[in-house]
Amino acid sequence: MTAVGANVQRSDGEAKVRGEAVFGVDLAVARMLHARLFRAPVAAGLIRRIDTSAARASDGVHDVVSGADIQNQRAGVAVFDTPLFATDYIAYEGEPIAAVVADTPELAEAALRRIEIEIDEVAPIATPEQALSPGARLVHPSWAEFGTVGGIDFGAHGNMVAEIFSDPGDVEAAFEQADLVVEGTYSTPRQYQAYLEPKMALATYEGGRYTVQVSHQYPFRVRDRLAQVLDVPKSAIRIVGHHIGGGFGAKLDLGLEAYAAVLARRTGRPIKMVNLPDEERLTAPCRENAVVKIRSALRNDGTILAQDVDVVFDSGAYANNGPAGASIPMFMYASIYRVGTARIRSRMAYTNTAPTGAFRGVSGPYLVFAAERHMDQIANELGRDRREYRLATLASDGHKMRNGQALEELSILHKAFELVEARAPWSDQGADQEADQDTDQNGEKLRGIGIAAAVWLTNPQPGQATVKLNEDGGIIIVTAATDSGSGAVTTGLRQIAAECLGLSADHVAVTMPDTDVAGFDAGSQGSRTTHVAGRAVFDATSEVRRRVLETAAGMLEAAKEDLLIEDGIVRVAGVPDMSLSLGQVAMAATFSKGPIVATASYTTPPPPHDPELTKGMLFNTWPTPTYHVHLAEVEVDPVTGKVTVARYVIAQEVGRAINPDAVMGQVVGGVAQGLGYTLWERMEIEDGRYVQRNFETHGLPLACDMPKIETILMEHPEPAGPYGAKGAAEPSIVPVAAVIANAVSDAIGAPIDSIPITPEAVLDALQSLEHGVSG
Amino acid sequence: MQFCRAQSLDAALEYLAEWGADGCLLAGGTDVMVRYNKSEIAPGAIIHIEGIEPLSLITTHGRTTIGALNTHRGLAGDAAIAARHPAMASAARLVGGWQTQAVGTLGGNICNASPAADLAPPLLVADAHVTLASMRGERRLPLDEFFIDRRVTARRADELLTTIDLEPLPEGSAEVYLKLGRRGAMDVAIAGLAVRLSLQEDGSVGAARVAVCSLAATPRRVPEAEALLLGARLEDDALAAAGQALAGAVSPIDDARGTASYRRRVLPGLLARAARQCGEEARQ
Ligand SMILES: Cc1cc2nc3c(=O)[nH]c(=O)nc-3n(C[C@H](O)[C@H](O)[C@H](O)COP(=O)(O)OP(=O)(O)OC[C@H]3O[C@@H](n4cnc5c(N)ncnc54)[C@H](O)[C@@H]3O)c2cc1C
Repeated sequence: MTAVGANVQRSDGEAKVRGEAVFGVDLAVARMLHARLFRAPVAAGLIRRIDTSAARASDGVHDVVSGADIQNQRAGVAVFDTPLFATDYIAYEGEPIAAVVADTPELAEAALRRIEIEIDEVAPIATPEQALSPGARLVHPSWAEFGTVGGIDFGAHGNMVAEIFSDPGDVEAAFEQADLVVEGTYSTPRQYQAYLEPKMALATYEGGRYTVQVSHQYPFRVRDRLAQVLDVPKSAIRIVGHHIGGGFGAKLDLGLEAYAAVLARRTGRPIKMVNLPDEERLTAPCRENAVVKIRSALRNDGTILAQDVDVVFDSGAYANNGPAGASIPMFMYASIYRVGTARIRSRMAYTNTAPTGAFRGVSGPYLVFAAERHMDQIANELGRDRREYRLATLASDGHKMRNGQALEELSILHKAFELVEARAPWSDQGADQEADQDTDQNGEKLRGIGIAAAVWLTNPQPGQATVKLNEDGGIIIVTAATDSGSGAVTTGLRQIAAECLGLSADHVAVTMPDTDVAGFDAGSQGSRTTHVAGRAVFDATSEVRRRVLETAAGMLEAAKEDLLIEDGIVRVAGVPDMSLSLGQVAMAATFSKGPIVATASYTTPPPPHDPELTKGMLFNTWPTPTYHVHLAEVEVDPVTGKVTVARYVIAQEVGRAINPDAVMGQVVGGVAQGLGYTLWERMEIEDGRYVQRNFETHGLPLACDMPKIETILMEHPEPAGPYGAKGAAEPSIVPVAAVIANAVSDAIGAPIDSIPITPEAVLDALQSLEHGVSG
Repeated sequence: MQFCRAQSLDAALEYLAEWGADGCLLAGGTDVMVRYNKSEIAPGAIIHIEGIEPLSLITTHGRTTIGALNTHRGLAGDAAIAARHPAMASAARLVGGWQTQAVGTLGGNICNASPAADLAPPLLVADAHVTLASMRGERRLPLDEFFIDRRVTARRADELLTTIDLEPLPEGSAEVYLKLGRRGAMDVAIAGLAVRLSLQEDGSVGAARVAVCSLAATPRRVPEAEALLLGARLEDDALAAAGQALAGAVSPIDDARGTASYRRRVLPGLLARAARQCGEEARQ
C-alpha cells in the first residue's frame, strides 16, 4: 500500500494558506442584494405591533418581510416547531422577526434600526428545571399540534420536547439489596462551536428553481429542509457547497438559507446573507446545558447492582435535532461498565433561550463527564484505586447495551487502558494529597491525576460517490460529502481512491458538493465521512478498477487475472514490455463502450438490537463503535485556583488511520475544544439571556494554553470500513471534561461536579474543604 | 472626521491646541481603534503621533526616562529596561498578544487610563512621573496624581504625554509583577500586582512599594499593605497581615472577568508569592 497510511497533503491546503480559497462569506454574484434579520431584543414576550414602514422607506431598501407577509408554517428536523419568523410571541432572544433587503449590508442594518416593535415582555422560562416544574408557563402554547419526523412519539408534553427512557423494572429491587448507595449530580453549561466563518447563504430564484450557495456541513439536509419550509418539491432546489470556515455541528441544519430563498423569490434578485460575529454567537445551536443525576446501588465488594440515571437537558426555544441527542444516554450508561441493571430517563425541555443543537460529540462530553465523575466517586467511597476499580468493573466482549446491542470488541478498551499505562504510569495519590493540604500555604502547586473511558459511534447515514476515470488517467470523485476542515474529503477520500486504483493521490481530485450533480450524502457529522463516504468511494473505485482491467485485457490480449496496476500503469505480470497507461485505457474505453465511471453507495446496516427495550428513541443503535481512554495530570495553583494541564495522554481506537497526520489533527483539536469547555469558555444564561455577549469575555483558550497531547492511535481494521477505517474525528472531545474534572478533584481533594472549572470554582471547592475539615 | 498626521512634537501640539477635546491622539491605536469601531468615541480629528521619533527614546542617566511612544514589545526586549525595571519588562510581555505589543505604546497604556492597565502597577512602584507638554509649556506630575478615575486623567485637552521617568531598582532590591488572567495571553487582568522590596542585612524589609490594577477605579499604590511590610520579615504571619490589609484596602467590582470576592480572596496569596519572589531575588 502506498496512498493509505501516508500523510498525503490536503488538496485544499495550499489555497487556504495562500488565501485563495473562496469561502461562503466571500461569494458574490451579479445583481446581488443583501439581507439582514431583525431579531428579538428580549427572551420572551408577546408581539403587540410591528411597523416596518419606516424601514421600507429607508435608503437603498428593496424589501422588508415579516411573518405576516409569507407562508410561515412551523418546520424542523425532528419536531416541526420552528417558524421562519416569530409572529405572535417571542420564544428566545435573537429569534428572527423580520428581514430587510437592501443594496448593501450596511443599508440593511440601518433600516433594521428603523423597524418599530411593541412587545409585552413576559418573564422567560430560563432553565429546564423551571420549564418542567408543575404549572410552568408553556413556551409554546400549541405544542400539542407540532408534527414530528416519521410521526415518532418522543413523549412530548407541555414544555417537555422529548422524554426517552429505558426501564427494565428491576431497579428498585436492586437498590433494596444494596450495601451502599452512591449518588451524584453533575451539571454542565452550554458550549459554542466557535467556528470562524459565520453562517451565510446566497440564494437565487430562476426558472422556478431555487439555487442556494452555502458553506454547509450537510447540503442535502439544506435541500430537504428548504423543500419542507418553502413547501416545494426537493427537485426544485439545488444546493451548491463551498469551502466551510468551520462548523463542528452548528452548520448541520438550516441557518439563513430559507430567508435568502424567500427573499430571492420576492425580489427577483440574488440575495446574500451573512450573520455578524456576535449575532452568530448569540443565536448559534450550542451544545446544550444539562444536569445529570446518577444513583448507584453497590455491594461492599464494589459490584454495581443497579444504576438509576436521570438526564435533563435544555433544548432552548426549539427542538432542532434534540431528540437525537436525547437518545444518546442509552449508549453512554450501562454500556462499557457492568452495572447490573439500569433505568435511564432522558428529558429535554423547551426554554426561552436560543435553541441548542449539534456540537461535535453530541451529548457525549457531559454524559461521560457525569458517568466518569460518578465512577471516581464510587471508587473514593469504597476506598478503591480509581483506575483499578474501573478495570474491575469494565465489561468484556459481547456486553449488551440498554438497546440490546452487543459491544463485540469491548476488550479493545482493556487494551487502551494498558497502552495508556505503558506511556504514563498511574499513580493515584488522592488519599495522601488530602493530608498535605496545609502545605499549600506556600502556594505549592497541588497535583492530581484522572482517567476516563468511553465508547463512541460512527454515524451510519448514507453516502454515495461517483468515481470517473478521465482520459488522461486522472480520477475525479463526485460527491456531496463535505470537508469542514478535517481533511476527510480533501485527503481521505482521495487516498482511498488512489490506493484502490494503484496510483498517487496527486492524480485524484474531488468535487465540491452540488445536490444536482452528486448523489445523496448525509454530511459531515458523527465522524462518518471517511468510513461511510469512504466506503462508497472504495466500492465505486473497485468497479472502475474492474472496468479498467476488463478494457486493458482486451487491448493487451491478456487475461484479466494476469494484470496489475502500479503507479498508474496497467501491466501484464511477468511481461515487462506489455503495459498501458490508465489514460490509454480510459481513452480506449471512452471511444468504444463509453467512459469508465462508476457509482456506489453505502449505509452502515444497523447492528442487531431490541427496539422494545427503549422508548422514544430517534435512533436506536450505536453503529461501528470506537474505544477511547484518556488520562490527564493537572497542577492546581492553590492561591489563584488556576488549573494547568501538565500531561494529557490518549489511546484512541481508529480502525485504520488512512492519514495519520489528519487523524492526529482531529484528536488534538477535539481535546483542545474539550479543554475549552472544561476550563475556560463561558456561555452563562441569566434570565434567558447570555451573560457573555462576545468573544472578549467568552474566554476561548489560545494555542499557548494548550498542553502537549500525547496520542496513541490503536489500529484495529474494521472489515466494513474502507481499508479498515472507522470514525475518528469526533470522539476525542468526549472524555475531556471527565478526565480533567477527575484530575482536579484528585488534586484538591474535593469533588468538582460542574464545569467550567474556573479558578473561582476551584477556590470555592478548596474553601468548602477547609470549612468541612474544621467544623 | 479629519485625520492629522503629526511628524513632530510641535506639529502635534499645534493640532491639539486647535482641536482641544475634539481631537483624539492616536499612538498604536489598539485602544482608540477598538473604541472608534464600537462608536464609543466620535472625535472631530484623529491626530496620529506614531511618527514622532524623539518620543521613542529611552535614557538612563540617573532616573530612567522613557518616551511615550515606546511599544510594549520594545520595552520587553530592551536590556536597560530588563536590568532597571524587570517588573515593567514582564508586564509589557503580558499585554495582549504579540500583535498588540508590537504597536501598543506605554503612553497609550497610561493615557487610556483603564483600571486594568498592566504597565501601571510596575510604574507606580518605581515612583513614575509623567511629563505633559502643550503649546503653553510643560509640567511634570506623579503618576498616582495623573490617574483620577476610570478613563479619567489629569491630562488637559491640549496636552500630550511626552515621557515617563522612573526610579531604577536600587541595590539590594527586587520587584515583580504578577498578572492574574485566565489565559496565557490576550487577557485583561482580573488583578495585577506589582511589588518592589528592599531587604536589609537582617532580612527585614527596608522599603516596600505595592501597587495594583483591576482592583479599583484606577491603578493605585496600596500604602496600607506597604506599611505592614515595612520592617517585617518575609514570614507567613507578616505576609498574611499585609495580604489582609491589601485585600481590605482595594475596591474591586464584579465584572465579566471575575467577581469582587474572587479578586479579594486571591490577593493575600498573590502578595505573599510576590514578596517571597522579591525576597529570593534580592538576596541573590
Ligand atoms: C486585543 C487587545 C488586547 C489588549 N490587552 C491588553 C492587556 O493585556 N493589558 C493592557 O493593559 N492593555 C491591553 N490592551 C489595551 C492597549 O493595547 C494598551 O493599553 C496599549 O498600551 C495602548 O497603547 P496604544 O499606543 O495602542 O494606544 P492608543 O489606542 O493609540 O491610545 C490610547 C489612549 O491614549 C491616548 N494617547 C495615546 N498616546 C498618548 C500620548 N502620548 N499623550 C496623550 N494621550 C495619548 C489616546 O488618545 C487614547 O485615548 C489590549 C488591547 C487590545 C486591542
